[in-house]
Amino acid sequence: MTKVYEGKVAHLAINQLSLEVEKGEFIAVMGPSGSGKTTLLNIISTIDIPTSGDILINGTNPLHLAKNDLSLFRRRQLGFVFQDFNLLPALTVEENMVLPLTLDGQPVELMKEKVREIAEHLDLTAILEKRPSEISGGQAQRTAIGRALIHEPAIILADEPTGNLDSKAAKDVLEILTRVNQVSQTTIIMVTHDPIAASYCDRVLFIKDGEFFNEIYKDDRRQTFFQRILNVLSLLGGNVNDLSTIRLS
Amino acid sequence: MTFQQFAYHNVIRNSRVYAAFFMASIFSVMVFFVYSMLMFHPNIEDQFLRDIAFGGMLIAEIILIIFTLFFLFYSMSAFLQARSKEFGLLLNLGMEKTQLNRLIFLETMIIGAISITVGIFWGFAFSKFFFMVIRELFLLDNLPLYLSWKPFALTIVVFLTLFIIISISSVVFIRKNEIVQLLKGYWKHNGQVEYIRWKAILGIVLLFTAYSLVLISLIQINVFLTFIIILLATIGTYFFFSDSILFLISQIRKRKNLYWHPFRLLAFAEGSIKVRENARMFFVVTIVSTLAFLSVGVVTSFTSFTSQYRELNPVSIFYSSEWDNPFEEAHIMQLSHELQRENLSYELIKFQVKKQTSSSSQEVVNLIKESEFNSLAIPLKTPLIDLEQGEAILVPSTQEDFRTLSQQEEQTVLEESSVPIQIVGQYKHFVFPSLGIKNRTIIINDEDYRLVTEPLFGYGLKESTSTFYAFHVPEWLRTKDVGVDLDKIMINTMGTSNINPNPFYFVNPGLNYSIIRATFSLLLFTGLLVAAVLLLAAGSFVYFKLYTDLERDKKQYDVLRRMGVTDQELVKIVNRQLIPQFFLPWGLAMVHSTFSFIFLQAVWVDLAAVSIAMEMLLVLIAFTVIQVSYFYLIRWRYIAHIQAS
Repeated sequence: MTKVYEGKVAHLAINQLSLEVEKGEFIAVMGPSGSGKTTLLNIISTIDIPTSGDILINGTNPLHLAKNDLSLFRRRQLGFVFQDFNLLPALTVEENMVLPLTLDGQPVELMKEKVREIAEHLDLTAILEKRPSEISGGQAQRTAIGRALIHEPAIILADEPTGNLDSKAAKDVLEILTRVNQVSQTTIIMVTHDPIAASYCDRVLFIKDGEFFNEIYKDDRRQTFFQRILNVLSLLGGNVNDLSTIRLS
Repeated sequence: MTFQQFAYHNVIRNSRVYAAFFMASIFSVMVFFVYSMLMFHPNIEDQFLRDIAFGGMLIAEIILIIFTLFFLFYSMSAFLQARSKEFGLLLNLGMEKTQLNRLIFLETMIIGAISITVGIFWGFAFSKFFFMVIRELFLLDNLPLYLSWKPFALTIVVFLTLFIIISISSVVFIRKNEIVQLLKGYWKHNGQVEYIRWKAILGIVLLFTAYSLVLISLIQINVFLTFIIILLATIGTYFFFSDSILFLISQIRKRKNLYWHPFRLLAFAEGSIKVRENARMFFVVTIVSTLAFLSVGVVTSFTSFTSQYRELNPVSIFYSSEWDNPFEEAHIMQLSHELQRENLSYELIKFQVKKQTSSSSQEVVNLIKESEFNSLAIPLKTPLIDLEQGEAILVPSTQEDFRTLSQQEEQTVLEESSVPIQIVGQYKHFVFPSLGIKNRTIIINDEDYRLVTEPLFGYGLKESTSTFYAFHVPEWLRTKDVGVDLDKIMINTMGTSNINPNPFYFVNPGLNYSIIRATFSLLLFTGLLVAAVLLLAAGSFVYFKLYTDLERDKKQYDVLRRMGVTDQELVKIVNRQLIPQFFLPWGLAMVHSTFSFIFLQAVWVDLAAVSIAMEMLLVLIAFTVIQVSYFYLIRWRYIAHIQAS
C-alpha cells in the first residue's frame, strides 16, 4: 500500500509497503522518527485510509465497509494500547476495562465475569476501584491492555506501549503481551523504538522513509535476537532515538 | 514583536475562546449605553415621564454595573485559570512577574477597549430603534435621535473603571501561584469526585424546606419568611451543585446494572467530573437565570394588571360634587371644553344623588335613580336594570364589596323618608370609583326615588344631595391631556391617603392608565434588556467552560473513536454530557421560578385579584425555547470541533 499526505507539499508517508501478518503472530515495527510507523498503524487501525493498496483483516477489507460498520469492526476486532495509556480519567480501573463491552451493550453479568478474569490475569484486582490518577504507569498500561483484551479482539495494535514506562514496568507489560499472544493466540502488532521491547516479538519489521528496509525473525534466544535488532538499527542509521548500548543481562 | 503586540496577539488569536465573553460584555455595554441615551434625552418634556425614565434607567444602570462587575470578574479569573499553564511557561522562560502583570493588564484593557467601542457603536446604531419602542410605550409624539457627549462619557468612564478594577484584581489572583503550580495547570483532571455527605443531604433538605415554606406562606404571606426562603434556596442551590448531585450520581454508580450501560457509563462518570469542576458556575448560572426569569415574569404580570384596569374603571372621566362645591359648573365646563379641544366625542351623564340613612346598617347610603343609571349602562354596554317599586340593587365599588356584601336579599328602610326597600342583589360590574362616592350606593326605582323627600337627620335638604358626572369617552385612552390640573389638585391634596378634603372628586382613568402603562412598559423594557444581558452572560459561562475543556474532550473522543464508537453513538454520548451542563442549572432555575411565581400569584391575588398564570407560562416557555436553541447551536459547534480532530 501507499499513503500520500496531500497538502502544500505532498508527503509520501508510506511507499509501496507490503506486509503480511500471520494469525497469532507478535510483530514489532521499528524505524526512525518519520519513517511512517504510526501511519502504518493508523491504517491498520482503519482510522486512516491508504492512498492506494488494500488491507485485509481476517478476510475482511475494512476499506469496503460503511462508516458505521467500520466502527463496529474496530469495536469487535481491534484492541488498542497507547503510549500514554489514554485511560478515561473519570472512570475507575474496572470501568475503563469494561468500557468496550458497555459500548457494545453487553449484559452486566458477562462484563463482571470478564473483568474479574482479566483483572486476575493482569494482577489488577486490588486496584479495581481506583482512578487512573491514583495508579502507577505500569498499572495504567496494564489497565489499558485489559481494556484492549476484554472483548477478545483479533488484533491488538500497540503504539509504543512501553514508551512512558520505567524498565521494570516495561518488562511486566511486555511479558503480559507475550503471554496473551501465546495463550489466546491474539495477533499483536507493536510499534516501538525500544530494541528490548522488540526483542520480545516473533518478528521485527524495519521501515525507513515509508519503505520496507529489513525484516528479522526470532531465533531461539532473546539475547541474540536483541543483538541482531541492534545491528539492523545501526545499519538503519538516521536518528534512532533509543539506540541504546545496553546489553540484556 | 513589541510587548504591546504580544498582548494584542494573545487576545486576537484567542478570540474564539473569548467569543461568548466578548458578546456578553459588548451587549452589556450596548444596553448600558442605550439606557444612558434615554437618561439624558433632552426631548422628554413631561416632567413625570422624565422622572420615571431617569429613575428607572438609573436603577437599571446600577443593576447592570453590579452584575457586569461580577460577571467580568468571574470570567476573567476563569480565563486566567485556563491559561495558567501558559503563564507558567512565560515565567519559566524568564518573564518577570511585573511584566506578566503588565501583560495581563494590557490584555484585559484591550478586551475592555474593544468591548466598549463595539458596544457603544452598536448601542448608538440601535438607539433610534429603541427610541421608537419607547415612543410607542410612552405614547409620545416624537423622540428623536440626538447627539450629546454625556451618554458616551458615562458609558466609557463606567466601563473603563470596571475593566481597570478587573485587570488589577486578576493580577492579584495570578500572583498568588507558584510557577510549578501554574505549569501543572489549574485544573487537574484527576477524576476524583469528592463530596461531603452531610452537605449533600443538607442541600436537598434546604431546597425542599424552601419549597415547602413557599407553599405554607401561600396561606399567610409573611415578608420575613420571604427572606428566609430566599436565603434557604440560595444556600440549598449551592450545596445542591457542590455536593448533592455528586452524591446522587455516586448512588447510581454503585448500581452496576443501571450504570454499566452503553451510554450511561461515560455520561455519569464524565457528568460527575463536570459537575464538580463547574459547581460554582452552575450555581451562578442558576441564580442568574432565576433572576432573569423572575424579572421578566414580574414585569409581564403587570400587563395582566393593566388589562384588568379598564374593567375596574369603566367610566372614562368621573367627577363627583358635594352640595357646597363652588367650582362644580366651572369644572364641568372646563372638562367639556378640553374634551372638545382634543377632538374626543363624549357622552355626559349626570346623576342627582340623594342621601338617606339605611335602617339595617345605620349608615348613610347614596341613592341613584334607575333611569339615570341605565342611561350610563347603555354606553358602557353593561346590563340594564329593571326594578319594581320597593326593589333596590347595590353597586359594589371595591373588590372587597364583591366578596363581603351578602348576596342574599336584605330588607331595609330609608329612615328619614320612611321608604321601605328590598335589596335584591348587587350589580355584577364596577361602575363608580370607590373614592369618589364615599358611601355605599344603591339604585332604586324612579318612583321610590321620588318618594325620598326628607333630608338626612340634622341636615338641610340641599346638604343631603350630591351630584355625579360620568363622561363616557369611547376613545378613553386618548384622554390623558384632559383634566390634568384637576388631577394635580387631587394628587396634591390627597396624596396616597383615602381622605378627600375637597368638595369634589375627580378621576381620569385614561390619564392614570397612561402613567401606569408608561411605568410598567418602562419596567418591561428595562427588565427584558437586563434579563437578556443576564442570560447572555449565563450562556457565555457555559460556552467558555466547554471551550476550555475542549482539548481534553477531543482526546477522549479520539480514544473512543478508535475503540469503535460510531458517529451516531458519539452524538449520543455528547448529548448525555452536554445536556446536564445546559439544563441542570436551567432546570433548577425553572423550579425556583415556578415556586416564586406561585408566591407572586398569591401576592397579586391579595393586591388586585389578577391571575398571572398565563403570563408566567409564556415567560417560562419563551426561556425554554431560547435555552434549547442555544443548546443546539453550541452542540453543533462542539460536535464540529471534536470531529475535526
